[in-house]
Amino acid sequence: MKKKTSTKLLDFKAMNNATRITLLVGLAAFFFGIFGLYTRLFVGEREVGYGSYVVWGLWVAMYLFLAGIATGSYMLAALEYIFNVPIFKGTGKAALFAGLVTMPAALASIGMDLGHMERIIKVYLQPNFFSLLAQMVWGYTLFLLVVIVTLWLAFKQKDGQPTGTFFKIVLWIGFFMSIFLSGGVGALLGVNASRPYWTVGLLSVQFPIFAFASGVSLMLIVIGWFMHFKDEEQRYHLFRWLGWVAIALSLSKIYILWAYLSQAWYSQIPDVMAPLNEILFGRYWFSFWVVQIAIGTVIPLVLHMIPKLAHNGTWAGLIGLMVLIGFAAARTNIVFPAMSVEMLDGLPNAFFGPHLSILYTPSNLEISVTAGVIGAAILAFVLGAEILAVFNKPKMEVK
Amino acid sequence: MAQEPKDVLVRMNEDLQRALEKAPEDRHWVMVIDLRKCVGCHACTIACVAENKLPPGVVYRPVLEKETGTYPNVTRSFLPRPCMQCDNPSCTPVCPVSATYKNAEGVVVVDYDECIGCRACLVACPYGARTSDFGYTYTEELPVLDGAIVGREAADDYECAANYEYGKEWAREGHRGSPIGNARKCHFCLHRIHEGELPACVTTCIGRATLYGDANDPDSLVTELIKSPNLIRLKEELGTEPRVYYMV
Repeated sequence: MKKKTSTKLLDFKAMNNATRITLLVGLAAFFFGIFGLYTRLFVGEREVGYGSYVVWGLWVAMYLFLAGIATGSYMLAALEYIFNVPIFKGTGKAALFAGLVTMPAALASIGMDLGHMERIIKVYLQPNFFSLLAQMVWGYTLFLLVVIVTLWLAFKQKDGQPTGTFFKIVLWIGFFMSIFLSGGVGALLGVNASRPYWTVGLLSVQFPIFAFASGVSLMLIVIGWFMHFKDEEQRYHLFRWLGWVAIALSLSKIYILWAYLSQAWYSQIPDVMAPLNEILFGRYWFSFWVVQIAIGTVIPLVLHMIPKLAHNGTWAGLIGLMVLIGFAAARTNIVFPAMSVEMLDGLPNAFFGPHLSILYTPSNLEISVTAGVIGAAILAFVLGAEILAVFNKPKMEVK
Repeated sequence: MAQEPKDVLVRMNEDLQRALEKAPEDRHWVMVIDLRKCVGCHACTIACVAENKLPPGVVYRPVLEKETGTYPNVTRSFLPRPCMQCDNPSCTPVCPVSATYKNAEGVVVVDYDECIGCRACLVACPYGARTSDFGYTYTEELPVLDGAIVGREAADDYECAANYEYGKEWAREGHRGSPIGNARKCHFCLHRIHEGELPACVTTCIGRATLYGDANDPDSLVTELIKSPNLIRLKEELGTEPRVYYMV
């Protein structure tokens, strides 16, 4: 009987279990997020946990996290297309597409944080370019355009065809932007002399490295759970090499974290020590020791060193997911504790009212919105990648 | 016969009138807070809330309290904290749309119509002098009661009636319009100053501890005071050059 090719854009039956489960998780997160998105857009910011003393909360932390994935994914794609690094062969389109999805998610997350979202247009029309925030808004918008152009050019490339000059120019631009922008979000915090914990050296320089590690982790998930290879040998090689890269990045991460925290510790500056104590022994100990260190760093590192698990698709994806969760926690541990310090002795107790506290816990509204944004990103990524055949999936053949 | 000394309020009022005759850029508004006279009554805080119709969660001039020593040798000290109106403010350059800036008179102001509510200025201010308006009103949780004189409706009307910060009407309508969603801060009651009135915190201070005037006027009270050796400014090491001086 003659075989005919399926013309369906989406064929759920043909999806593997991991894809289906991810779609379900994305859908559940998105539905949970509808409550938050509705409340935020039509009621306002009242139900948030942040305020006038802990000024930035979960949405800003998630902006840093998602923007890190976007820039890190681009760096990964650049390694394939610009530098022709063989170990990253086949990941370029997926990495670029990840950037295309996570960048708007990052911007949506930070957009929710604005008291007047409708005025974001003013940052484009009357920017103060001395402000790092304005630089970031412009930079990330331009970066998003670069990602779109790069992805379009990547789709135009045919397998085995050498990359064109224009494509390479765009990639170089995007590559530099991804490095500077990922560091820029660190600088956005680091320039505030009012928050001594952020002014410890090494804050902004760690962001590009962490962004690249985020990109690699996401790619482990993509390769482990979603990507289809004609040749399983290629998947094995990717796991092997990405695993080594992930180990190297994890060790760099531990070193940088040690350098940063020990520098803060040995300074013994009270306004630096206060957030550090909160992280190590106070309100944020669980987030730091359990989520960031154990789940996000140590366990993945151990699993990477067990070849049987590191080269297994399901496990490799799980390792990637754990590292990403660790990075999300790391972002919260950078943002929240630094603002849990009294700017002046007794200020939080001088006047009482809503949002005048230095104790911060993300509210249900913030968690819901974050779930909605991440859920939407997951759905967009998996469905979009299926439609655009980003996962190198061969066309479904039906007898 | 010796002339009776003027009350400092009268003197500051005269100083103010003289300052207003000058061009705005020739004025140098300064506040001096005599901590030896502050009794921690919070009248300045309340006056500020009333004058600017500040909603819950927004405060321009809290009074910080500190208890030192152990019983029976215990002391309480108070530190009113308005905006420092720094000459080198860290809150203005971070604004992505230049909605907050130092005006011609050297007062750090916020353009409520331009502010996008990113709160970068709140993060940058080392004095915690800015608060965000999340759109609350004091009366919203109260039950509606019948009352000929003061019922909830009357209180609602008062709360939602316009204030006149920066010389413009800012009514609280709904949950969205400015100043809701904006960064807010002490502005030395510029709207009162321009009408020839001293800031609300100055006129209500029962101990005459808060003093205000033009430091460019050699005859003003504040010019006299800021020459004293017993003055401090908060966090001077940051180089922000606050315009609020504390007498200790």
